[in-house]
Amino acid sequence: MAPAPASEDMLATRDALATREVTRRSFWRRAQAFMLVRPGLARLGVIAVLFGIWEIAARFYVDKMFLSPPSSVFTSLHKVFLTNGVPAALRLTFFELFIAFVLSIIIGVSVGLTVGLNRFSHRSFMPIILLLYGTPQITILPLFILYFGIGAASKIAFGVTHGMFPIMVTVIAGVQNIKPILLTSAKSMGASRWHIFRWVIFPHMIPSFFSGMRLAMTGVLLGVLLAELYVSTAGIGYYTTLFTQNFDPTKLLGLISMLAAMAIALNELVRRAEVRFSRWRSD
Amino acid sequence: MSERADRDRGRWASRAVQALFLIVLISLWTFATTLGHVSPILLPNPLAVLNELIDVLKSGEYIGDLRVTLTELAFAFAISVISGTIVGYLISRSPYAIKVLEPLLAGAYSVPVILFLPLYVLFFGLGPPSKIALGATISFFPIALNTIAGFGYIDKIFIVSARSMGASNYQLFRFVLLPAAFPVILTGLRMGFTVALLAILGSETIASLAGLGHRIVHLAESMDMARMFAYITFAVAIAAFLNAAVSSLEAKGKR
Amino acid sequence: MTDEVAVRIRGVSHAFGEQGDTRHVRALLDTSLDIRRGELLCLIGPSGCGKSTLLSIMGGLMEPAAGTVEVGNQLVRGPMPQEIAFVFQENALFPWSTVIENVKLGMMFQGVRKAEREKRAKLSLEAVGLAEFAEHYPGQLSGGMRQRAALARALSLETGILLMDEPFGALDEQTRMVLGEDLSVLLSRTDKTIVFVTHSLGEAVFLADRVAVFSARPGTIKEIIEVDEPHPRKPEFITSEKFTRIRNQLYSLLHDEIRKAVSQSAASQRAAADKSSRGAQP
Repeated sequence: MAPAPASEDMLATRDALATREVTRRSFWRRAQAFMLVRPGLARLGVIAVLFGIWEIAARFYVDKMFLSPPSSVFTSLHKVFLTNGVPAALRLTFFELFIAFVLSIIIGVSVGLTVGLNRFSHRSFMPIILLLYGTPQITILPLFILYFGIGAASKIAFGVTHGMFPIMVTVIAGVQNIKPILLTSAKSMGASRWHIFRWVIFPHMIPSFFSGMRLAMTGVLLGVLLAELYVSTAGIGYYTTLFTQNFDPTKLLGLISMLAAMAIALNELVRRAEVRFSRWRSD
Repeated sequence: MSERADRDRGRWASRAVQALFLIVLISLWTFATTLGHVSPILLPNPLAVLNELIDVLKSGEYIGDLRVTLTELAFAFAISVISGTIVGYLISRSPYAIKVLEPLLAGAYSVPVILFLPLYVLFFGLGPPSKIALGATISFFPIALNTIAGFGYIDKIFIVSARSMGASNYQLFRFVLLPAAFPVILTGLRMGFTVALLAILGSETIASLAGLGHRIVHLAESMDMARMFAYITFAVAIAAFLNAAVSSLEAKGKR
Repeated sequence: MTDEVAVRIRGVSHAFGEQGDTRHVRALLDTSLDIRRGELLCLIGPSGCGKSTLLSIMGGLMEPAAGTVEVGNQLVRGPMPQEIAFVFQENALFPWSTVIENVKLGMMFQGVRKAEREKRAKLSLEAVGLAEFAEHYPGQLSGGMRQRAALARALSLETGILLMDEPFGALDEQTRMVLGEDLSVLLSRTDKTIVFVTHSLGEAVFLADRVAVFSARPGTIKEIIEVDEPHPRKPEFITSEKFTRIRNQLYSLLHDEIRKAVSQSAASQRAAADKSSRGAQP
């Protein structure tokens, strides 16, 4: 039986519906393709969702005493700054981080080169270094405070002991890992010991050194912050204790966010330096 | 072969240097506290430390704190292993998810998570839950990241080959994906354990009512130096033992 | 070798990348071929001409953009583990299992009963000469031995068709020679249909009953050459006049195609370099 002839109106409607269907489908297809090439955007989306969950949870589900929504934290940031002594404490912490980092590099490089360049000293001292690197230094934090006091000195010292080992270890590795053929080839061209150090060993060691710097920054951050949080009578530790005991999650979160931002910025700085100076490495 | 004799001699010599290092250290320590005039408030005599250590061990005083620390560690690690492996596996199933989420996880891990401790203390109080929360949070990341790395970067040829032989989804997971990912995941578990232990000891030091970390702080505040040194030694020994055990498990798991 | 057709390939075409994209590559163009049951057919051609692609399509690992493949009156739509087994160039043995475990795993995937597996595994390992190394791990074996193990795994599946994608490609010349001879001996004892992709002219002439010569991209079968010599092929065959004649024939067929393929890849590399120097993608 032949189908009834379609009227013109019916055909027009069917076409219109089909076009709309196609446009809708292709919109989603395009949106998908768009997101697929932009993982960065997707990441921002994920972060936004997480912040959203935090906001909703803090606003409606959790007691105001224990958790604060990000919106309040953000709007009250200036209040944290106005709290007496907080900016000074933050500045001091940053100062401690900086000094500890520089000292870690100086000590780490000197010891690393001394141990790494000489086969005998490497064999003798490397196990000692590794042993010290592996011990949980947190157990002697109270000792550091006893010896160096509650001021900046103890924080810097604790940061240095955390930061110098990665540099030592990576410098030693960078010096030891040179393919013997490079040294042989330099010697065959008449290079002196100084030449070999300056033009073969040193440039070879640079990328290792920079990755060690990245680890050192992580270590220094850990050491300094641990010491700061431990000392509850001065510095950042005083304020975290204060805000905790006063059940003021807004100010506490504000303070922590600023410290976290500091940490992220410093880490990023060192990471970029590493990328920039490691370009010749193919591995 | 004289080359080997040279090498052996070198090895002996370096061992001698290490032994010498230790001897010099202990001698200086002993000298400084007995004949030198370093006050026992600053640095206790090594013999005194040894005595206190023996006393601690004999009297069993350490048991309470050790139990607290180990319990916190166990709970924290259990939580992070379960959540880390599951989250890691789920993410690893989609290359796009890996691309988006792995850098986020790596970035979050690079922030010193110790900063969360005051938050957890505010939320959970000074008792074990805040330590467990911090330990679990910190150790979650290496476990999840390594699980993603383990499952996400399996050589495609193994999957193609198994599929061509007719493997079902379950067979693929059990006999191809899991064994391929296992060594990497195991490393992640070891790293997670080490980091959890440090986090627990650290949080006990900073804000706690019990546990090994807290005991050390307590002794420091009461200036009981010899006993504090004894407990430090004890804690370091326990940590070293646990880490060595986990490392050997990891090696054994990798055969 | 009979006249019965084991695999019927009709008008298979395939391309990679989106139309209009600079990365669009037409790998295969309208390829048709009848593979006779029990024969060993070699696919030979310049790099990138689509022979590995055709093999994957034959085995159901890839869906062609156009055309069909039939295996024993069934249309190939996906892997057919009961009929088709693969040996890849890359080592696809699972490094975490021993050699014999690898063989047994393959059978388990296919669905062979547990009792059968041990017996078949031992037989196939003996057939490839690896009986002594059953409990070794792939990491402990040489490249040649690993490929023998991969072959044993494929043989134990007892399929009618065996597809081999440059299985000896990663091995040195001497190992290839030995493995090639052993393969010829093995095949004379079975009645499998084998499709073998290779780059090596000598290997193709030595092993194959027929050699299908591919053109450069977009690949299509230029000509099929018969090698009329019974299996197992003796080592003396290589120095015979017949061998040299066929090999020369292959060479002249391939030479122009290889040149074409080389200039194609140089052109595409230049295009890629231009594109990347013009600015990185977000």
